[in-house]
Amino acid sequence: MAAPAAISAKRNYLNALNEALAEEMQRNPDMLCMGEDIGLLGGAFGVTDGLQARFGADRVIDMPISEAAIAGVATGAALNGKTVMAEMQFIDFISCGFDQIVNFMATYCYRTAGEVNIPVVVRGPGGGYGGGALYHSQMNEAWFCHSPGLKVVCPSTPYDAKGLMKAALRDGNPVIFYEIKELYRKTSIEEELPTEDYIVPLGKARVRRQGSDLTFITYGNNVYHCLDAANTLEQEGIHAEVIDIRTLVPLDEEAIYASIAKTNRVVVVNEAPMTCGFAGEIVARIANNAFEHLDAPPVRVTRLDTPVPWAKPLEEFALPMLTDVLEGARRVLRY
Amino acid sequence: MPLSATTGQRTTGKGMRRPSELLSKEDCLELFRQLYLARYFDVRLIKEKKRGRLRGTLYSSHNQEAVLVGSVFGLRPEDWVSPIHRDMPMFFLKDLRSGWQNPDRMGMSMQDVCSQIWGKVTSPGRARDNWSHIGSKAKHIIHSTSMLAGTIPAAAGVALAERLNGHDTVVVTFNGEGSTAQGVFHEGINFAAVHKLPVVTVVENNQWAYGTPAELECPTPDVADRAMGYGIPGLIADGQDVFDVYDKVMQAVEHARAGDGPSIVECKTFRAYGHGDHDDDRAARYRPQEEVKEGRSRDPIAVCRRRLLDLGYLDKGQAEMFLAENKGASQAKDDDFPEDVVAYMDQGIKFALGAALPPAEEAAWWVFKENH
Repeated sequence: MAAPAAISAKRNYLNALNEALAEEMQRNPDMLCMGEDIGLLGGAFGVTDGLQARFGADRVIDMPISEAAIAGVATGAALNGKTVMAEMQFIDFISCGFDQIVNFMATYCYRTAGEVNIPVVVRGPGGGYGGGALYHSQMNEAWFCHSPGLKVVCPSTPYDAKGLMKAALRDGNPVIFYEIKELYRKTSIEEELPTEDYIVPLGKARVRRQGSDLTFITYGNNVYHCLDAANTLEQEGIHAEVIDIRTLVPLDEEAIYASIAKTNRVVVVNEAPMTCGFAGEIVARIANNAFEHLDAPPVRVTRLDTPVPWAKPLEEFALPMLTDVLEGARRVLRY
Repeated sequence: MPLSATTGQRTTGKGMRRPSELLSKEDCLELFRQLYLARYFDVRLIKEKKRGRLRGTLYSSHNQEAVLVGSVFGLRPEDWVSPIHRDMPMFFLKDLRSGWQNPDRMGMSMQDVCSQIWGKVTSPGRARDNWSHIGSKAKHIIHSTSMLAGTIPAAAGVALAERLNGHDTVVVTFNGEGSTAQGVFHEGINFAAVHKLPVVTVVENNQWAYGTPAELECPTPDVADRAMGYGIPGLIADGQDVFDVYDKVMQAVEHARAGDGPSIVECKTFRAYGHGDHDDDRAARYRPQEEVKEGRSRDPIAVCRRRLLDLGYLDKGQAEMFLAENKGASQAKDDDFPEDVVAYMDQGIKFALGAALPPAEEAAWWVFKENH
């Protein structure tokens, strides 16, 4: 007896995450939230707003400024049967808890031959374009993609943010969940969300725009640069496809190769530094598995191999902008 | 008995008895037997390595057995521990009081531990990580990494979950004095202290962190002084005396179980050999001979034997049997140990030697829980 899907009012990306956490806390009495300023304050950005009032300070824990302890306590609690959302106030700060994540949390299942699994989602805001400078702008996802045992997620829409967060919290493995702070309150992407429970499965890409002439592969904030570029190209009669991979580990390779089989040209866009970045990983897999479909060498459009600087012209020079994405597209089209 | 949140050696309240005074004769003799077992395990592995039957590095706990035995002897079966590299015997010492041959006890069997040492598929971790990096969720043993104090935050997390589940279980973590210099040592204990979590951190101060002396790891002579900054008790035990270790750890454990929060228990001991067996030759050079001689002068088996004689639990004839103390691995013979100790280890080794190696393809399994 499927009831018709009731539709709520429009939600922004941040509301969607907040709802996902609240619904999972309600659904799973063994779930905890821990992070800096997440309880009394409701989180630096408000992602955990209202959770402590609703679920109590025992389950929504204000942690000291101790990122290694946040990661380690979360791992210990998960070892002992809890599901934990562990917030990094900015995803930049995750480096302070790096050892606990990559050597302890990530390896637990492997080391114990599956006796122990660690249902922890380490989430936090990442990404540049907001003047956050070196330590409030990073996208360091490549560190974790390079560390076996972690799944890595980065949604670009409210619907995906909510559905992926719920899937991540139910996955049973550690997940590093990159939220894009510039999208938290972006009104142009607000959307109505189903009121019934739903998830977006990990490891499934989403085609955000259909096209036949080239493929943009991207995630996070850069999805919007690619959509804008596709609009511009459309006016020139070029039909670009935009694939939002949504999950980096595991990667939906089939969706990527299927698109390239159709378009034969590919531009990979992300805002992390180029060297050893995830864009390079995508290009390498395409070279191995879809070479015969390519009519041009794949192009990467990424941040420069620099930190993210503060002053606006510096930041815009370092990060991939619409003009960079268009230039990358023209390179593969010209070849 | 209340512990105050200052530092230094704590004594029990006026007129109160030390926890060890409540141990029966049978318990005391079992402590002694467990010291032999821990020592024999170490001696035997060194022999096996010299015979070429073992792969990997040995981190000897020779001369530190009283810390291991005394710390876990009084724990409840359901209490958790997190041993580090020099604590290999702890895997079978945990809950050993529930019966050496009891398969349901909350500790590992000698078969489990020997399987791990020999890298066999019957190891509790199917030999996927080496030496002391095993553990068991079912037996309440946290799996350590080579990053030492890194298990303290996890211990706090385990303790947090126990409390939320309404249990009064205690978690006892083990570290050397060297790892107290790590940032996570602070982060873990700080969090546990803020929330009064039942986490006891035993520091085995064996005076040497690999090739670095304790005074270059910690600015105060007593590592226990670090407790002051967290407003928690810092106790000091004579790490050569299994009864003193038992007393101090049990005081800290009962303090934790009562909801009064964490403690640090520093056990003063001395590392008999090198950091690992690869380091024995160099350790003979970087450590002053006099210091080594002094550090090994109070063998925990001898200290325990004297105490049992004083208590009248050994008669003179018994006291002259099994003189394993003050013997290095090359001098100690099977005859120096009680037969049941040798037999227990023999049975573990026999099992491990007969067990299979893990199939190669398992290397790709369990990166995620669904991969196998």
